[in-house]
Amino acid sequence: MKIIPIYAEAGITGFESPAAEYKELGLSLDQLLINHPDATFIGQASGDSMQGVGIYDGDILIVDRSLNCKNGDVIVANYNGCFVCKILDKVQARLVSASSTHSPVTITRGDDFQIEGVVTRSIRLHQQAPEIIACML
Amino acid sequence: MYALVDAVSFYASAEKVFDPSIRNRPVVVLTNNDGCICAVCPIARKLGIPKFKPYFQVKNFLEKHSVVVRSSNYELYADLSEKMMNVISRFCDNQHIYSIDEAFLSFNNYACINDWHDYGQQIRKAIWKETRLPVGVGFGSTPTLAKAANHAAKKLSGFNGVAIADTHKKDILQRMTVEQVWGIGSKLGAKLNVLGVKSAFDLAKQNPKQMRKQFSVLVERTINELNGISCLSWDDVKQAKKEIFSTRSFGQRLTDFNALRSALVFHAYIVAKKVREQQSLIKRISVFASSSPHDDDYYKNAVQVQFASPTDNTLYIASCVATAVQKIYYPGVRFYRCGVGAIELDTNIYQPDLFAKDTNNIELMQCLDAINNRYGSGTLQLGAMNTEKFHMRREFMSPRFTSQWQDIPKIHC
Repeated sequence: MKIIPIYAEAGITGFESPAAEYKELGLSLDQLLINHPDATFIGQASGDSMQGVGIYDGDILIVDRSLNCKNGDVIVANYNGCFVCKILDKVQARLVSASSTHSPVTITRGDDFQIEGVVTRSIRLHQQAPEIIACML
Repeated sequence: MYALVDAVSFYASAEKVFDPSIRNRPVVVLTNNDGCICAVCPIARKLGIPKFKPYFQVKNFLEKHSVVVRSSNYELYADLSEKMMNVISRFCDNQHIYSIDEAFLSFNNYACINDWHDYGQQIRKAIWKETRLPVGVGFGSTPTLAKAANHAAKKLSGFNGVAIADTHKKDILQRMTVEQVWGIGSKLGAKLNVLGVKSAFDLAKQNPKQMRKQFSVLVERTINELNGISCLSWDDVKQAKKEIFSTRSFGQRLTDFNALRSALVFHAYIVAKKVREQQSLIKRISVFASSSPHDDDYYKNAVQVQFASPTDNTLYIASCVATAVQKIYYPGVRFYRCGVGAIELDTNIYQPDLFAKDTNNIELMQCLDAINNRYGSGTLQLGAMNTEKFHMRREFMSPRFTSQWQDIPKIHC
């Protein structure tokens, strides 16, 4: 159906906003935080071994699978059937924590190990988000 | 050149993406209402688990082999499918999404590629890396050959996930039964078997004109396609559905009028939603209900409703269905099954009738869909629907890892 929009006018008009012609789309956090949307997933950190790089219990992690991991990257891996967030030590084949109380784990032949992606961003929720309660349970 | 890319046991593979604890275990996925097994991962396939067997029949066997059982998590599969399709789209200049887990690709400006096998491996690698879904890739000079090559890539030995029909044509077609050819199926296949046409290779050798006389233009086209003559235009492949149905049998027989009405209104709601998804409008619907053919006094009735102007308005369609139920219901009948079908569809561009009331309410329907897409289907529904009874049974469902905040995967630090 073709509609020709003609607005009813009574000759009384308000003062038009001087900013109207400068309006742009609002900022989107997705655009800033997610570079490869089809290869990215969102998870939640659980535990305190990565505090040294600023990842705290309950933080949101943005994980990009499309990037190639470099030595020293913060990554998510499948370590024996569990998603873990660690620093990758490619040279010594170790998963290193960012905390003095957690020692590095060496990956051995018998381990089930796959790199799942690079943690490109972590997000701190300074107030609890009601939508996310999984890690508190 | 054409390609068909599709995921290996998509539903079962999707279950493994965000649950690394089951990556090396046998996994099966159940259909709607946990009725049958609809997907079997390669590890589970080695145990000899048959597809489409009722779950209760194999329950003990699955337990004995500690097979992981999951209900269909459509929310997760839809999201992963979209991501997979987006990754695939980077590799061609024309993509047609054929189903939730398969896509046809065509390559019109890819003369620079001289090693299609290597290119296929690149596609597989990228999809695996970015979505953690395993796929098979088949190439061919026609869509039918691409489909055959895909079959070879996944099912025949000697192909490591990628096959090119044109280089191994004889080998591939000889190892495929005629029923496995795209568009043939078991019914037509049985008829062809009688004529001695057993394999895809046998079919390719037939005279296309003669087969057209004996069967149909479709068989003629298929034969030509198997011989590298492209006959299926892109539009033949990607047609929108011409009919959309929602139908289900009841767990218990219904005799109550209101119960039947709420069941049928539920189906009207589903049909209207699906119709909007493919951007069509409904001109005519069929409303039907029946008792079980195994019961005494088999009763079956159907009413067709023609709309004055094509519509996709859930409220209007539901109210027409609710009226139709009065003609279908018969006291004392123990209803076993019912459904609603949109049997005449139209594009969503139409000439409104000056004298008939326009029943569409585009904004309201957009709002309804937006709310249900955001907060889960069924968030907003019709008062006349009694959804409790018809809610899908999904006892073994995994979390909706990618669409619900409370379900995002936990990562141990």
